[in-house]
Amino acid sequence: MKHIVYLSRAVRPMTDTDLQALLDQSRHDNVRHGITGVLFYSHGNIAQLFEGPAEMVDPLFDRISRDGRHSHVRKLVDTPIAARSFPTWSMAFHPLEPSGFTALENFLLPHQLPPLPPSLTIADALLVELVQLAVFGPDPTQPFEHRHSDPPRTLDA
Amino acid sequence: MPAPRFEQLLRRLQAGVATLEGPELRYGFVNEQMQVLVGANAEGRTLTEQPGLLPTALLEVLPKVYEAGTPYTARACACGPAADGPDRRYFDVMVDPYADEAGEPAGLLLLAVDVSEQEATRQRAHELALTTRQLDARLRVLTETAPLFTYTMSPEGEVTYVSPQWYRFTGQPETADLTAIWPLLVHPDDRLRVLFESDTARRTGTGWNYEYRLRRYDGQYRWMLSRALPEVHPPDQPVAWHGALTEVHLQRELSEARRRGEAELRFLADSIPELVWTTSAEGLVEYYNHYTKSYSGLTTEELGPTGWVGLLYPEEQAAAARRWVQSVASGEDFEGEYRLRRADGVYRWHTIRARRLNDGSGPRWFGAGSDVEEQHRLRQVLQTQYDELARAHHNLDTFVYAASHDLRQPTLNLRGLFEELSRSVRFTDPEQALMLRMVDTALTHLDGTLADLAATVQTQRQQQEPVEVLDLALGLEEILLGLRPQIVLQGASVEIDVQEAPGLLYSRANFRSVVHNLVSNALKFAHPMRPPQVLLRSYLTAQGQPVLEVRDNGLGMHVDDPHNPAFRLFSRQHTEVEGTGVGLYLVQRIVTSQGGHVEADSTPGVGTTFRVFWAAPTGLE
Repeated sequence: MKHIVYLSRAVRPMTDTDLQALLDQSRHDNVRHGITGVLFYSHGNIAQLFEGPAEMVDPLFDRISRDGRHSHVRKLVDTPIAARSFPTWSMAFHPLEPSGFTALENFLLPHQLPPLPPSLTIADALLVELVQLAVFGPDPTQPFEHRHSDPPRTLDA
Repeated sequence: MPAPRFEQLLRRLQAGVATLEGPELRYGFVNEQMQVLVGANAEGRTLTEQPGLLPTALLEVLPKVYEAGTPYTARACACGPAADGPDRRYFDVMVDPYADEAGEPAGLLLLAVDVSEQEATRQRAHELALTTRQLDARLRVLTETAPLFTYTMSPEGEVTYVSPQWYRFTGQPETADLTAIWPLLVHPDDRLRVLFESDTARRTGTGWNYEYRLRRYDGQYRWMLSRALPEVHPPDQPVAWHGALTEVHLQRELSEARRRGEAELRFLADSIPELVWTTSAEGLVEYYNHYTKSYSGLTTEELGPTGWVGLLYPEEQAAAARRWVQSVASGEDFEGEYRLRRADGVYRWHTIRARRLNDGSGPRWFGAGSDVEEQHRLRQVLQTQYDELARAHHNLDTFVYAASHDLRQPTLNLRGLFEELSRSVRFTDPEQALMLRMVDTALTHLDGTLADLAATVQTQRQQQEPVEVLDLALGLEEILLGLRPQIVLQGASVEIDVQEAPGLLYSRANFRSVVHNLVSNALKFAHPMRPPQVLLRSYLTAQGQPVLEVRDNGLGMHVDDPHNPAFRLFSRQHTEVEGTGVGLYLVQRIVTSQGGHVEADSTPGVGTTFRVFWAAPTGLE
């Protein structure tokens, strides 16, 4: 078992239904391969953690990094794990139309995220929290306007 | 005239057919289509009587055609009521004169073909051509005025177009052979790479995106960004590559400088024996210096963007992680002391600091950790020593208290026995009477010292007494009442003035001890030549600090005598007067323990003034 965490930017803003489609696709594709995880989205910022058998996780990340719907994919963590922390797929985002939100399945509002499971190491839990912060901003009850200067750089070249 | 069957066909022909007979041009045969143009019952009437929808121009021409006897064709002839109405129709009208058997002109054969559709199409095409020309003009203006150069390259690698800016930039004449010249203008170090990349892209049918140095008109090489995409009309191969060339020299120099700065910073960070790291704006570590890696025995990959937290002492990890998330969210500095695990498993104390800085490419966090294990150990040793001292001090106090307590009873017994002895035994030697008196004095002194010692220890334990608002006038009267025998004996006068500050927030027991000691001192150290006068005055300083002043007209003392400091335990200034040397020390200890201080002014032979500042100046507590 291993897990991968990455951050990326959507090429164009995603609507609520785009996100529903994305979650449905993730769920259907990955249930067969034993992959689960969590996805955060806000204002074009995407962060995802997914976990499963290494022989399934690696090719999935290959596909994801080539997906034309997002760019600036930054892999943050790629480490073996002892147990799953997100046994069902879920996704958290700021809905564009809050009224229709309840109709969407398995979605969470950013400020309603449950506490991180203790199966994550503190370093990994810290990473997920920082990634949430990067996507949703300091106050998750409010939609977050990002300031994007340069695209992120990889330092250790 | 045509045979009936033939006439039937003519009538249903999808083109208008009519004959105009004779010089007066009278309608002969009119088929269904032509009736649309000239009306249903035109047959037998003249053209002038029934012009129908035929345009005036045509009506004028027809008699002339009859006279001339030559065929005539009017193309896209507009027929209809409104000039440009929606039901306006266009017809190609062919007029053919025909002759009778004798060869004389007999009439005109009219053939009208509806060409409205074709005409509309033609007009649309015309408008389209106009728009295209406008767009073309706009595109040209744009491409020729934009700061970037545009170009087109054929699949064979021939440059078929460059915008005029290119000529201006390179200084090449417009007659230059573009295909041959452009590789020569590329910097020799970049030339092969550029040619290879462009060839590869054209072979695979993809676009390109590369930077190279291009020679400017003045011979200087400037960095350019070249991007191009193929023009494809599937399923065919690309017909051309269109691209743009942008000067990126300044950006490139800037990022080069930044890269150099970054490398220098790295070099510095890698050569110092401190933990150094940088993180992205999101708080994810991007760089650990060499020392961090050798200290932890882990690589950058093993540490990862948040792995540093795993180096901390296990119980401290969660709190440190929370603190870090909070710092990243708020932008506040991160600071703390943590134990960090060394590669050999030993934890050493470190001071860790991280601060967010903006270095021109967005915010980043810079962190540093210093080993403070030695300081920490020293502090622990000091703390242990302090604890031991405090314990020893406490034990000593207890011992003194117990000893003074335990010694008082034997002293009292001794005194009783002595009194009994002096009553029952007769002394004949007068010197012996003096000795008896000396023993008595010594016994009184011993008892007083023991009582004072017990009181000192007692007050030190009372420092945490509850405070209350004291009515000073009442409190002072009470204390004076306790001293009444002495006051009466010495004929002293004591004056109380508490009008300025009648109340005080203080512990009652401490207040009593302080005032009692000071007043009894004033009485004790009275001048032998005059009755004591004592003034007790309570007032507030300019800062609102409550003060009690005790002024006497007694012996006075040397306030700043270094050999005989007034406020030290067992220090006595007037050895000729009875005393134990505990009083002022006690006052000092009580007052300073509550944040205040005691001042003394004194002139030997004239008197002494003590000022008790009960509390620290307000605002400093």
